[in-house]
Amino acid sequence: MSQTSRFLVPLEGFRARLDVEEEMTANIRGAMRKRGRWRFLSWLLPHSILVVFSAVILLPLLWLLRVALTDKSTAYKIPPEWGQANFDNFIEIFTGYPFFSYFLNSATVAFGATVFALPLAVGLAYAFARYNTGGLSLRLFVLSSQMLPPVILVLPLFTLFLKASLINTLPGLILAHMTLSLPFLAWLLVAFFDGEVAILEQAARTDGATRFQALVRITLPVAAPGILAAGLLAFLLSWNEFLYALILSGPHTNTLPVGLSSFQTHRGVDIALLSAATICAILPAIVLLPFLRRYLIKGLSLGALK
Amino acid sequence: MSVATAGGLTLAGRDRRFGLLLTAPGLLALILVITFPLFFTLFTSVHDYTLLTPNYDTFVGLENYQEALDEEYLPDSLWVTTKFVLASVVIEFIIGFAVALSLHATRRFQSIYYLILLAPLLINPVVVGLLWRMLLHSELGIVNYAIGLVGISPVSWLGDADVAFWTVVLTDIWHQVSFMAILLVAGLAALPREPYEAARMDGASTISCFIHITLPLMRPVIAVAILLRLIFAIKTFDIVFIMTKGGPGTATDLISYYIYRAAFFGLDIGRASAMAAGLLVIILALTVYLYRYMNSLK
Repeated sequence: MSQTSRFLVPLEGFRARLDVEEEMTANIRGAMRKRGRWRFLSWLLPHSILVVFSAVILLPLLWLLRVALTDKSTAYKIPPEWGQANFDNFIEIFTGYPFFSYFLNSATVAFGATVFALPLAVGLAYAFARYNTGGLSLRLFVLSSQMLPPVILVLPLFTLFLKASLINTLPGLILAHMTLSLPFLAWLLVAFFDGEVAILEQAARTDGATRFQALVRITLPVAAPGILAAGLLAFLLSWNEFLYALILSGPHTNTLPVGLSSFQTHRGVDIALLSAATICAILPAIVLLPFLRRYLIKGLSLGALK
Repeated sequence: MSVATAGGLTLAGRDRRFGLLLTAPGLLALILVITFPLFFTLFTSVHDYTLLTPNYDTFVGLENYQEALDEEYLPDSLWVTTKFVLASVVIEFIIGFAVALSLHATRRFQSIYYLILLAPLLINPVVVGLLWRMLLHSELGIVNYAIGLVGISPVSWLGDADVAFWTVVLTDIWHQVSFMAILLVAGLAALPREPYEAARMDGASTISCFIHITLPLMRPVIAVAILLRLIFAIKTFDIVFIMTKGGPGTATDLISYYIYRAAFFGLDIGRASAMAAGLLVIILALTVYLYRYMNSLK
């Protein structure tokens, strides 16, 4: 914009402006010399902040890995000793403890909650984006559902599930986790149906495609990567969920976070085993992280930022 | 929105019908799993429903609400929650902004920093609690050993009431500060270049650029980031459950944990529901405010 307006300046004004700019260039040259030090500082400062920050995040996680790889008694030694790294702890949590069952339960519940919620959420989000169905009030309803503290919902779910014999069952837990994944997905997916895909769809409609055909043949394939990423985020949301699982699951349906939290009390704290188990618990998130980074901002800011 | 250009009520009507058709299953599911249970909470909150006598025979009106307000430790919990939310959101904002500005100013290694920054956000909160419990163990923890090397005497991170509160705050910051940083860095990346170029022409310093250009332009992003974190911080439960169980005393007794205890240790679901209803009002008010603000930006 500033460039076009500059061309519109009358010639005399333009000359005066040139003088001013020349003077300014001189000022800038002077400043540049002073800025040599500044430039080094403005390179050093951000990197120092980021290196310190990264270290604070990484070191605890690396320590966790280190404890997981030592044998049980070395794990407790203070000052720390460096023994031979081995995978015994990882083997033991799966052979000596029900961690395999926790894993399976977590995966089943997270997969179930995501798969059932995804088509419903696609319908909601698409209707919001294209037809503004339900207007602002329905959107507010979806947003508020997402903001609810789990402790508010877990009370009625507990009493209702008691009545319906859904306590301590995987279907019950899947239903409970849908209270998280459904509003999350519905809200997140709206952004994937806005923008360019709407233009493509419009073209298809002009060529005689029905609304349904346009959705299924054009929009869904184009939005598929976004929908997949949103699905993976919802999977992790459910994978990490603790309070619902704590209250609504029992010995046979305990998920990984519940298993981890009870692990500490059973037989003192066996930190080597516990570390191995926690490493396994966060592995899916770490593996998925590079694929999800592009979508994470949208997911976190609830679509407020693109 | 886009198809109704050809005019005519029938087209718009069909759009409407198609939209409703797509919305209906999801909406029904939301009503089933969220709205219905919420109304059930309100229903429970006016009955004498305990886990010892789990029935709705006795309507008690607002008695549960009255009892909840009279509870000795509820004000403590509300105060602890307020302190916790304010402390963590303010500190997260300051650190998060510093990190966001740094990340925005660097090119080299940016993607590595970014990946490290994202990592805590996807980590299970239970794991975060267990991890820091282990690191901060007063005799066997590596943190006390490390500070001992530089001559600081061991700290009872989770045993001392004042310290425990800040331990929980710092743990939450470790877990959630990236949220703030990522939202702010996305905001910075979307800022227009022109104001900065113009200011540089006028010889403005980096600091005055920041105060007069960056801060005002970033206001909406800052507001959204802070509001979102505020609402999420009120929900905090997991790290308290893992690290302190609300203690020592009531030092870390956040409201979510308080309600959980009232329901499943106090066994009084009716009274817990009354408190949950109160919390619901606060969360809804904040959400409506956030929603209005987000819409006013469009």
